[in-house]
Amino acid sequence: MIDQLLIPFTYEYMVNAMLVSALVGGVCACLSCFVMLKGWSLLGDGLSHAVVPGVAVAYKLGWPFAIGAYIAGMTAAMGMSYLRSITRIRQDAIIGVVYTTWFAAGLVFLSIYPASVKIKNIVFGNLLLIAPFDIRQMVVVSIVALGVLLLKWKDLRLYCFDPSHARTIGLNTWALEATLLVLMAGVAIAALQAVGAALVMAMLITPGATAYLLTDRFGRMMILAAAMGAITSALGAYASYYLNGSAGGTIVVLQTLVFLVTLVFAPRHGILAGKARAKAAAEDLLARLNRESFTQEAAR
Amino acid sequence: MTATPQTSLDLSVKNVSVAYSNGHVALHNASFTLGPGTICALVGVNGSGKSTLFKSIMGFLRPARGSVTICGEPVHKAHKKSIVAYVPQAEEVDWSFPVTVRDVVMMGRYGYMNFLRIARAEDHRIVEESLARVQMLDFAHRQIGELSGGQKKRVFIARALAQRGRIILLDEPFTGVDVQTELAIIELMRELRQQGHIILVSTHNLGAVPDFCDQVVLINRTVLAFGPTATTFTQENLARTFGASLKHLRLDHTDNPADARNELVVVTDDEQALVLGSDGQLNRLPEQEARP
Repeated sequence: MIDQLLIPFTYEYMVNAMLVSALVGGVCACLSCFVMLKGWSLLGDGLSHAVVPGVAVAYKLGWPFAIGAYIAGMTAAMGMSYLRSITRIRQDAIIGVVYTTWFAAGLVFLSIYPASVKIKNIVFGNLLLIAPFDIRQMVVVSIVALGVLLLKWKDLRLYCFDPSHARTIGLNTWALEATLLVLMAGVAIAALQAVGAALVMAMLITPGATAYLLTDRFGRMMILAAAMGAITSALGAYASYYLNGSAGGTIVVLQTLVFLVTLVFAPRHGILAGKARAKAAAEDLLARLNRESFTQEAAR
Repeated sequence: MTATPQTSLDLSVKNVSVAYSNGHVALHNASFTLGPGTICALVGVNGSGKSTLFKSIMGFLRPARGSVTICGEPVHKAHKKSIVAYVPQAEEVDWSFPVTVRDVVMMGRYGYMNFLRIARAEDHRIVEESLARVQMLDFAHRQIGELSGGQKKRVFIARALAQRGRIILLDEPFTGVDVQTELAIIELMRELRQQGHIILVSTHNLGAVPDFCDQVVLINRTVLAFGPTATTFTQENLARTFGASLKHLRLDHTDNPADARNELVVVTDDEQALVLGSDGQLNRLPEQEARP
């Protein structure tokens, strides 16, 4: 039994896959704290879907997939901001229209030019079939993103919290916004191949949302999110050995389980803690009312 | 508080016009100038261009015409020196954001820190001192959402203090604030005026304006009137500023319509009322002792 469970560790490519997905999952989770607090979850979801046609075209032309993904992501982002400036349609509708259009264009392209297996891996993810060159790409993107976050997290936190103040003390808020957007696109592209375009966004939201329920300190929130992202991603990669390479579903289901447990049991912001507080307050009020009516009767 | 070197300080808004991309002209040809050591009220109805004016001073909006200068320099240069501090309205802040009171006040120091924003002993000292000055030291470890309305406001004032901002913009500082905090804020503003700061306060609280503001700017899409409170904050000017949205009552406790001397005029835009003498002028003059 134990022998069977340890099999994945005897293959070097499995160990590598677990390490790489832990790294990518951890970086995604760090970034998820900013994405969630900035209210960019929907935008990120849009971007991660919008990169698909870029990837499809890049493979057809033999380019590195990241370049295609980046171009598609950025044209989608520009299309969204252009549409918002010329119409009165609300932002969520615009994001929805643009990203489904880009995603659909990718699917049409794939049905015209029958896809190699790699393309399906982009949409649904397959950790075990990623080419060594692409793995290097993922590692480099993740490490650069992690470095930027570790160096500039205080400025990015201030930008998310109070951009007006950031601006009045002379910070370049335009550059901070661009940094956050580019990191989001870059990390989403890196995570694409591990979990697939359809599920990337879960890795860029759920760890942050979970950690948000556990602490009121931003630093701790990042550490908790990163730990959760790294551990669930490594476990997902491990499980993919038995599940024929598909890690995405496992990672996201694991993250959701952690989120649900936290939602119920979190010490201060969980559902049970909230109920306990409400009950204590009600009992306290009742006790006080009883005491008062008692003293009133006694006075009479 | 350590005395900052008092170089000359001024805020000058010259012929500023701002138009939004939908063609709406929010501000037209607005001008006024403030020198060191003043508390100036910015008074006008909602949509009169108060926040547009604040945004122009903070450099978020580039005026289509005219200019905003601070000590003769364009605003973005002043921002690099952390001269302008902004105290936001309560609605603009995400109170569930995972930051503590101390974190927020420390953000006032970022402009003085290195690339990595690592606080030095000096920064910690100034943060402590700023928290103490608004009586919030005991709450330093709290998450900002766990505070009362008055405490929330004081956190952001402490941030402006920690920033050592010499021009302080306060957007509706008295909404949702208890009386005790209101008095504390006014007292603090007077101290800052004495130290030579420029304080610009947007407020609906007409009744309190003569109590603590020595100058007023009345705006409705442009600067209608600007000058010392005693001569500018009159019934006539307020009527021009607020038009029909101003409520206006004439009271006479002697019930003698022939004698207008005892009449009081109450002017209100539905927040706090302003009481004027029968001539439409301020009965009490604002104290002038703090003016340099």
